[in-house]
Amino acid sequence: MRSNKIGWLLLAPTLTILGLFGIVPFLYVLYVAFHQWNPFGANPGMIYNGANNFRRLVVDGEFLTSIYYTALFAFFAVVSEIILGYLLAQLFTKDFPGKAVFRTIHTLPLIVAPIVVGSVWRLMTTPSIGIIPYYLKYWFGYDLNIGSNATAAFALTVIMDIWHWTPLVTLTLLAAIVSLPKDPFEQAQIDGANRWQIFWHITLPMIRPAILATVFIRLMDALRTVDEVWMLTGGGPGAATRYLGLHIWKVVFPKTDYGYGSAISIIVLYLTLVMCWLLYVGLVSPRAKKRII
Amino acid sequence: MDHPIDLEQADDEARVVEASLKRSGFLPIVTNWFDRLFMGIYLFVALELLWMRFLEQSIPLTVCHVIAIALGALIVWKG
Repeated sequence: MRSNKIGWLLLAPTLTILGLFGIVPFLYVLYVAFHQWNPFGANPGMIYNGANNFRRLVVDGEFLTSIYYTALFAFFAVVSEIILGYLLAQLFTKDFPGKAVFRTIHTLPLIVAPIVVGSVWRLMTTPSIGIIPYYLKYWFGYDLNIGSNATAAFALTVIMDIWHWTPLVTLTLLAAIVSLPKDPFEQAQIDGANRWQIFWHITLPMIRPAILATVFIRLMDALRTVDEVWMLTGGGPGAATRYLGLHIWKVVFPKTDYGYGSAISIIVLYLTLVMCWLLYVGLVSPRAKKRII
Repeated sequence: MDHPIDLEQADDEARVVEASLKRSGFLPIVTNWFDRLFMGIYLFVALELLWMRFLEQSIPLTVCHVIAIALGALIVWKG
């Protein structure tokens, strides 16, 4: 009994903080999602409207489009980051001249605030003054204008995200790779396994938990990205980069439609949980013919 | 030091494990009750949203509530 009390006592601060800053706001957003609430409108009070906000969002073209583009963005960004991050992590396990300098420079984007990343990329991609459109025109004759070319704007937001967050993936995968035991690799080499076989049958299964944790973190981040994209493209042109976070921001702040914005937030949370759960089930959860309890 | 292996006991243990593997549950993954509750809630929300999008014009949402709750209960108890 005594050890239980000490355990609960030690957990109390964490549970209090989680409750205050996680569960209470979530319940409040859920409560608001079932109301019509425009605090700056003619009728500033909350009016209960049942599931009308959810009815509205399942036929809202803008919202459904933003889900589509967000899913595309998250897919391209996370997959590219994992592949690039793994390759860089493997590179950092080898010795080469200037490794320490390169590793430091490579990690620098991580310490830059997203809003700054967005503004720097905006400066670099603005036609007529940006370095990227200048060199694309000079070398390839390509006119880059993210204000009018939707595909280019989308691609640039993905590239910006990759540039910003690949170092995080590299660091987590590097930590996983250097902590692997040497024996299985030596045994595989003695048995005549080639590089691909060693990667596929030994390295990948052993670092799978680290990959999965990284994918979860990056996926959740990608699904709620706002500030970088807001600075770079403002959600345009059209709806090409109007990702879910930006869409919620536009509904809640300029339109002050708090009830509808809360309903969208709940659905975004739901989609994030479903995606992470499906990933977990697909990659980690044992296939079985049995169940616990 | 050699410890003789009790083959009878090993067989009994194997039978117990085998029996536990064949416990009922139609889901293709290992789950505990909380996982199944979670799945039930996922499906409840998904069904409600899809119903509102495609069927509510012709069939009232109450029907969806009943189906979704029944499905959730089935997953929690038999999944």
